Amino acid sequence: MTFATAPFLEGLMKNKTKAVYDKYNIKWGYFFISIWVIGFILWYLIPMIASLVFTTLDFNLATPDKNQFVGLQNWGRIFLDPEVLPSIYKVFSFAMISLPITFLFSFLVSVLMNTKNLMGRSVFRALFYLPTMVPLVAVVLIWQGVLNNQAGWINLFLENVLHIKAIGADGIRWLNDPKIIYFTYTLFGLWGIGNSMLIFIAGLQNVPAQLYEAATVDGAGPFRQMVHITVPIITPIIFYNLTIALIGLLQYFLVPYVLNNGSGAPEGKTNFLMVYFYRQSFNYFNMGYGATLAWMIFLIAFVLTLMLFWSSKKWVYYGGSDK
Amino acid sequence: MSYLTRPSQWWKNMIFLVGTIILISAFLMPLIYGITTSLKSEIQISTANAPLLPSSSDTIDIDGTVYPVVRVPQEDGSYKEMVLFKKGRQSSQLLELDDLNGTPIEWQGNWRVLDRQWVRDFQWKNYKTAWDTIDFMRLLFNTFKYALISTFGAVFSGALVGYGFARFKFPGKKILFMLVMATIILPPSVTLIPTYAFFYRIGWVGTWLPIIIPTLFGNGYNVFLLRQFFMGIPKELDEAARIDGASPLRIYFSIVLPQAIPGLTAVGLFHFFYCWNDFFGPLIYLAGQPDKFPISVGLSSFNGLYSQQVHLIQAASIISAIIPFIVFIVAQKVFLRGVVISAVDK
Amino acid sequence: MKRIAVILLLALLIFGCNQKGTGSSAEPVDIRWFVGLGAGSDEPTFAPQQAVVDAFNESHDNINLILEIVDAGQAVNTLATQIAAGNGPDLVGPVGIKGRDAFKGAWLDLTDLVKENDYDLSVFDPKMVDFYTTENGLEGLPFGLYPSFLYVNYELFDEAGLPYPPQEYGKPYIDENGKEMPWNFDTVRYLGMRLTVDKNGNDATMVDFDPDNIVQFGYGDQWTDWRGVMSSFGAGSIVDANNNAQIPEQWAAATKFYYDAMWKDYFYPNAAYGGADFLAQGNWFQSANMAMVHCHLWYAGFADLPFNWNTAVMPAAPDGKTTAKMHADTFEILNSTAHPEEAFEVLAYFVGDASLDLLNIYGGMPARLADQGDYFETFEANKWPNRGINWQVVKDSMAYADAPNHVSWMPSFQETTNVYNDFWDKLQNNVGLDVDAELAQLKTALQAVYDAADK
Repeated sequence: MTFATAPFLEGLMKNKTKAVYDKYNIKWGYFFISIWVIGFILWYLIPMIASLVFTTLDFNLATPDKNQFVGLQNWGRIFLDPEVLPSIYKVFSFAMISLPITFLFSFLVSVLMNTKNLMGRSVFRALFYLPTMVPLVAVVLIWQGVLNNQAGWINLFLENVLHIKAIGADGIRWLNDPKIIYFTYTLFGLWGIGNSMLIFIAGLQNVPAQLYEAATVDGAGPFRQMVHITVPIITPIIFYNLTIALIGLLQYFLVPYVLNNGSGAPEGKTNFLMVYFYRQSFNYFNMGYGATLAWMIFLIAFVLTLMLFWSSKKWVYYGGSDK
Repeated sequence: MSYLTRPSQWWKNMIFLVGTIILISAFLMPLIYGITTSLKSEIQISTANAPLLPSSSDTIDIDGTVYPVVRVPQEDGSYKEMVLFKKGRQSSQLLELDDLNGTPIEWQGNWRVLDRQWVRDFQWKNYKTAWDTIDFMRLLFNTFKYALISTFGAVFSGALVGYGFARFKFPGKKILFMLVMATIILPPSVTLIPTYAFFYRIGWVGTWLPIIIPTLFGNGYNVFLLRQFFMGIPKELDEAARIDGASPLRIYFSIVLPQAIPGLTAVGLFHFFYCWNDFFGPLIYLAGQPDKFPISVGLSSFNGLYSQQVHLIQAASIISAIIPFIVFIVAQKVFLRGVVISAVDK
Repeated sequence: MKRIAVILLLALLIFGCNQKGTGSSAEPVDIRWFVGLGAGSDEPTFAPQQAVVDAFNESHDNINLILEIVDAGQAVNTLATQIAAGNGPDLVGPVGIKGRDAFKGAWLDLTDLVKENDYDLSVFDPKMVDFYTTENGLEGLPFGLYPSFLYVNYELFDEAGLPYPPQEYGKPYIDENGKEMPWNFDTVRYLGMRLTVDKNGNDATMVDFDPDNIVQFGYGDQWTDWRGVMSSFGAGSIVDANNNAQIPEQWAAATKFYYDAMWKDYFYPNAAYGGADFLAQGNWFQSANMAMVHCHLWYAGFADLPFNWNTAVMPAAPDGKTTAKMHADTFEILNSTAHPEEAFEVLAYFVGDASLDLLNIYGGMPARLADQGDYFETFEANKWPNRGINWQVVKDSMAYADAPNHVSWMPSFQETTNVYNDFWDKLQNNVGLDVDAELAQLKTALQAVYDAADK
């Protein structure tokens, strides 16, 4: 692979046509990142290479001694496997719904949590973060309970307070209706905004207060301040959250896995790519094919990440850049 | 936009406060359900149409058997509390509360339409049961120790590396940073087996080392995030310091890091809670070493395949969420207050 | 760079220090016992299992037995990772047929060890020894049996004024008017509907019955999958002799019966009701809101049932035959073990000296014929003192075990399981389906999996 297609760091560099390195930068640059390089070699490199080797093997986890070299067969199988394309489609369908809603909600809550008009902000922040701290076993039971079609609080509320038909076979079946399952999963996602909120808030706190003061003097209202000051200054953080959210979605499997053991229920709608990887690897024990699926996920996510980095030159503003 | 009708500051604050309270109530509703469940008796959970809040129905113990007290409608429209002695479809037997040894009265009608006398009753003893069932002190201590060491190392190394990527120009930077991203992008489950095999070969399986040590070398998420923070910090100050002859380490510690405190706090909290809930890593590396288990693994024994006890799981989970909750509030007070002040002072 | 060199050196030191010594031959051999694929990963079973391990270690100088309990939800992943990384345990169990087939090819054939040790297999029912014999050889020694039967909530029968179901195979059900009815699934349907009640107290046979507000159910098969539910109508297999997909006739009938039970007669909980809080999110019998529950003996091993309950025999299928599905557990040795002799010694101890202790922990019936006689006396004294529970039903149910077993082999075991789970999931969740069409689709989907497995 050539890295020329990935000029995402160019925005950083003073000289775009030809990088010129001085001794100071080289020495101290390597110094600061050395610890990571060592860690990478020690902990990541061998397993990554090993997993790449897996893609060329017929490797059953239960009988590791009987693995066989099969060349590129596993890669060929991806193109013939009728489950792969639909599972990619499902991930992106889910992402189209989940990503904008979760992202916007998290951003707006963070802005609210950073408003000086709000009393008791630190308590509210902690409360919004609280669900992220609840152990997964409990989270799953909570949502299964709350969303139960017959006796869950949400349906009880809809039926008895808002008088919307929700209970019963013809009501709202949050966890079992293939038409709304992506919204249900988005709801779980909203509950886990804690980390992205934390990061947004940290970014918002880095916006110098003088800028707002100056803008208020100039007569700019809250909305214009948001668009012209806040958003541009925290674009590095928006960029981070967006990238991580995208990668997270491509690796999304924990919720469907815990809720229905990765069976894809209801009606295969949650048979996302990563769920399928997990099933192949740890349910069917086809680690060879599973590793191939994982590396395909890697390739897709990597290309998307590169595209994001590339686009970031157009919209991400770094206060520390030399522009 | 008109500012003539702008409400006074007090009103504005109130609107924000009330709006936020409504939002947070809706947001935390599932958690309230979880807390409610943790305070219910098993009987209430399994009674259909029982009150939503923790309650217990009045009962009476006669010769070792527990009977419910129900409200029986009287001819004059009032209700009388009586003991439901024997349930039946067409008729049931009732006892007078003040004459428990008397002859049961045959009552015609369906007992299911009789209201029970529910009273608010919080089963705090669920928390005690949960606390006594597993060794919470040890589990919490293990988790805390792990989370603290790991967080300290992760912030320290993440900041160093993030700064290196944000501020310096050196050959191979693009490729190296892409490798950082690659460690995030490649699903960790695919490297699980080789990683486990590696740690097994070097004799680390059965210890905390495979879970703690790698985090001390800078993890991709933290490096990427802190790089973003450092890149957002204007260069003027450190360039001035460099011209004054300050060493990069001095610039880093005394000029750059203080400006990145919100980011460092975020990464620290983020990593701390990640450790707190980390489940599969400890499970797999510490299998067979219950003395070393963290809380996340300890909790899973509540959730055995067949003997789920929902109220106890919820109680135990809430106990385990309390410490991170406190850590969050304290960390905010300690780290972020400083930031607000320095921003004002400038 | 100096710094890198120093860190590398440090790393090497750390590695060096942690290298395990191989140990001399005089030291006892470590034997790792992995628990989690079946019973034994619930908190209350931890200490008693550790006690068995401690007792073993005290009496055996040559072996150091190490207990490794892993959460049931993660046990398969964990074991797979350990095996694949070359760190597999020596002994695994209790494990049923399902766990055994999931790790097909990983187990040691015990035939030679049995011979070398002159182990006497005649203490077991030969049928049970066959149960553990695969094309790979003998993979386990019979240990625990878990027949299935009906758990009956007598309080709910009392409330409805109905007599209890029979406790002897072949006996009819006698209703409150003294009328005899054959003990079959028609009668279960009738009783089930009488025992399914809405919040107003109407039962499912009444016109005013409100299916949206059911508060008590009549019948359910607890914690099993489609094949398990189907087995009540007669044992069957979804793969024929030529590895082609088939839907046994009795299972097609059973699927329709259960589908109607959920969506027309309402006495069997659909998915939404089945997961509701008032049915204890699936722990149906313990919720005290279900009158009759079909489950295995292991349930009585740990369930907490503070009400008047008892057993009943399995009802007969429409063809008149009765089937009570059976679970059986054992311990198996991984073929990667470095110490097969010692592992076998532990295995023999588990199914021998320690078997009653272990069976009392897991709630299983001994496979050892000589132990079966008074097993229930101890079990009752430990777990259900003074409850007057009829255990003869459990013993009798053994004679009606399902063959082929409902968890028996299929090509691509896990894939096939997923296919029929999807199918059953759909049926439990959707009203108004054409069951015949769904069954036809299931057959096609199964065939596709089998064809892929043949390749």
